[in-house]
Amino acid sequence: MKPILRAVRLAKVYENGGVRTPALQGVDLEVMPGEFTAVAGPSGSGKSTLLHLLGCLDNPTAGETWLGERRTDQLDPVTRASLRLHEIGFVFQAYNLIPVLTALENAAFVLELRGEPKKARHDKAMAALEALGIADLAHRRPNQLSGGQQQRVAVARALAAEPRVVLADEPTANLDSKTGLALIELMKKLNQERGITFLFSTHDPRLLEHVGRIVRLEDGRVVADERVGAA
Amino acid sequence: MWALAWRNVWRYKTRTLVASGAVAVVVVFTLVFFGFVTATMTGMAEVLTSESGHLHVTSARAKQAHDFDARLIRDAARVEAALLRELPDVRLRRVLEVPALISGETRSRGALVIGTAQDDALGERFAREHVAVGRLPAPGSGDEIALGEALARALQVEIGDPVYVFAPGTEGWGAAAYTLVGLLDFPQTSHEIQAAYVSLEGAQELAAPGAVTRLEIHLAPERGAPTDALVEETKARAAAVLGPEVLVETWRESSPDMAALLDMMDPVMTVFSFFIFVLAGLLVVNTIYLGLVERIREFGVIIAVGADRWRVMRMVFTESLVLVLLGTAAGLFVGGLLVASWADGFRMPGFDEVLAEYGMPAVLYPSVTPGQVAVTVAFAIGTALAAALWPAWVAGRLQPVEAMRHVA
Repeated sequence: MKPILRAVRLAKVYENGGVRTPALQGVDLEVMPGEFTAVAGPSGSGKSTLLHLLGCLDNPTAGETWLGERRTDQLDPVTRASLRLHEIGFVFQAYNLIPVLTALENAAFVLELRGEPKKARHDKAMAALEALGIADLAHRRPNQLSGGQQQRVAVARALAAEPRVVLADEPTANLDSKTGLALIELMKKLNQERGITFLFSTHDPRLLEHVGRIVRLEDGRVVADERVGAA
Repeated sequence: MWALAWRNVWRYKTRTLVASGAVAVVVVFTLVFFGFVTATMTGMAEVLTSESGHLHVTSARAKQAHDFDARLIRDAARVEAALLRELPDVRLRRVLEVPALISGETRSRGALVIGTAQDDALGERFAREHVAVGRLPAPGSGDEIALGEALARALQVEIGDPVYVFAPGTEGWGAAAYTLVGLLDFPQTSHEIQAAYVSLEGAQELAAPGAVTRLEIHLAPERGAPTDALVEETKARAAAVLGPEVLVETWRESSPDMAALLDMMDPVMTVFSFFIFVLAGLLVVNTIYLGLVERIREFGVIIAVGADRWRVMRMVFTESLVLVLLGTAAGLFVGGLLVASWADGFRMPGFDEVLAEYGMPAVLYPSVTPGQVAVTVAFAIGTALAAALWPAWVAGRLQPVEAMRHVA
């Protein structure tokens, strides 16, 4: 089986006012289809940067990123946007829902960008909300939802578009531990039932008990890559 | 794209109200401004022509020979009849101006005795605007006179006093005695110090029976001043029926200084309009720009989940266009209603004298032309889209990660 995500000697250096801050320093990583993988490490270890580069949200300073058999780090912005639209689902730490849209509209938003007919995107988005147990909140706006509910909507937005891979950047960081754990279990269930590949970052050690693989980062380098029993 | 834009416009109600409201205010303000610019220009033209008339008929010889005889239109009644046959709707003022020596009991000085006859409306208007004390000589009167206040002071005469006029070398009596019945106030002291008004018949008896020196043609549109095109057309018709013995001139031709004064207002109004447009543009730019800058984070999310930068730019532009069209429609409606409601006459109570000081009539008649409406709409849309350009460009150029971290 070929990896669905691949990083080869991946490096990223941020420059701000002449100060160079290395975020990733030669990371090699392969994620296989259907894996439920956590990228763990302390703040500033490069977790978010790695997810952003693998998700075509940012450009590396050096190295390669691959999505399936396609090298993505050299693509033009429009093609990278198209890949994000059709192949990758994102869940962000701060939810990043669109405030004026309802939960259902947020969940259907990626499908709307793809130009899918209203009925089809409505059905898919509603199915995603149902899968996440928040179908009854479909017509509420983000400011009428709790943090956990908003993050579920964000996951529904990522899942409704049926991507090949979901990248989640600290999806539980703004949630209490109980809600965070419930969200991870939900994501894991979707991973097992639908075979969706999940790669998410976290610095919460309690969540790591529920994943199949843990990639540990420190100072922008992979210091451990463990397969654990929960998978 | 339109559906997405419309949804955002509808859902961001406060932003929509503020942005569209700003555009509407600008459109209303611009329309009203245009309405009053037009009203002011036509009003000033009306003031300038209200006394002199829009067309003058004088002797064709008057320009070459400046003596009194050369200035006379001797068969005034025939000329007037021919004129009224061709132009039955105009109003005429018949004027005979006689250079004369005018005396009180103790003092005398050179003056211009002006005999006039006109219809009641023109007479009432003249009296309303210039009679300071007393009244004008009665029509047809041969023994009443009204003097400019400055002239009366110079002659040391008061209402009821006798005034003597000598016009030697003319074809009338050449001398007459009158009773002072009115004192007249004119904005130009140079006119006030030499003006003596009598009835046309009085002046004709004094100097030139049956003659006038000038026929003033007053066009009578329902409101405001007649257009230059109408004046030119009327001139052509009058000249065609009156023949070569008389000269027909528009007020612009016979009073080039007044015409230049009015024309000078064009660049002044243009400069004024420029500043108004700049200020209005800043209001629109500021509102649209701020409304979009605070959404850069949202645009970052949209880019992150798969929209390309051009799509975001199109979305921002489409939304701005919808906002501007809504605001423009509202502004046109409100502005149109305001201008229409004032179109029959707008008067600022208590400002009559102030306006008169600036050569403007007390009642203005605002109106806008289709061209002005088109300029207003184009300005509003152009400004708002220009205001949307920068945030849209910024949003489109941002890396999604940067955009999602953006704090307005």
